[in-house]
Amino acid sequence: MLNILVVDDSAVMRSMVIRTLKMSGVPLGSIHQASNGREGLDVLEGNWIDLLLVDLNMPVMTGEEMIDHLRARQDTADLPILVISTEGSQTRIEAIRSKGASFIHKPFTPEDLGNTIRDLTGVSGHEQHDGGFDPSSGLDF
Amino acid sequence: MSNMTEALTQAAVLTFEELAFLLPDEELNDQQKAAGNEARVTVTFKGSFQGNLVVRLYGGILPSLAANMLGEMTPPDERTQQDALGELANIICGNALPSIAGSREVFHLGAPHVERYCGSPWLQDQGSASARVSLGLEEGRAEVDLFIH
Repeated sequence: MLNILVVDDSAVMRSMVIRTLKMSGVPLGSIHQASNGREGLDVLEGNWIDLLLVDLNMPVMTGEEMIDHLRARQDTADLPILVISTEGSQTRIEAIRSKGASFIHKPFTPEDLGNTIRDLTGVSGHEQHDGGFDPSSGLDF
Repeated sequence: MSNMTEALTQAAVLTFEELAFLLPDEELNDQQKAAGNEARVTVTFKGSFQGNLVVRLYGGILPSLAANMLGEMTPPDERTQQDALGELANIICGNALPSIAGSREVFHLGAPHVERYCGSPWLQDQGSASARVSLGLEEGRAEVDLFIH
């Protein structure tokens, strides 16, 4: 079961990512949310997170700045990170990958997301989740 | 169709299909052509060239578009609808620019600026669009303009 933190400044995109996660078959534990990198770091301070899903372009602290913070800390240096972004520049995508993060392009399908997470984390389970979005169930804001 | 228009069309169609589960018509019917102003979103970009991408919706389709994006049966509140439209424009822009400029080019996209139609005509966008796409969506339509300054 993966505890996942979703960081994106768009509440709609966070909801879409969570709905897609539930459809992807990935075994899910708690799902947490944050609207920028700074909030995301705060969530990481108080919760066990197995996987970070993060956008790049956000106010306050960008996804790239958040990744730099995490890679510089011993306890999060190896945290699996998946960047979910509209970024289309191979130059910038390669820079992200050089920081040890995987990348998936918006828009994406449940299959894209599930396969990328399995490759990144090594989890192999296929679980069926209710595709509905229940904000009261295991979600932190 | 120019390469720029083709790239914009592919990005817009892909985004409406995969993000909002809407199947765009590239040939508009009379109802879609006559649909009234609804909302507009602008995304500015800077890179090897700069400009903005404008998406205009017509015909009252934003509530169902936002509901589709969220997988909900009922439309979300106004703020969430505007968030959905902004995200949609961001993704169209992010997908179109590498196809036009090349995949090595780096562009920085600004935050989307959403405006609801309030009865007075839109202020004209600066200059004429470098590429324009019109897509029929349910009873309305979307117009996607790319302005390069």
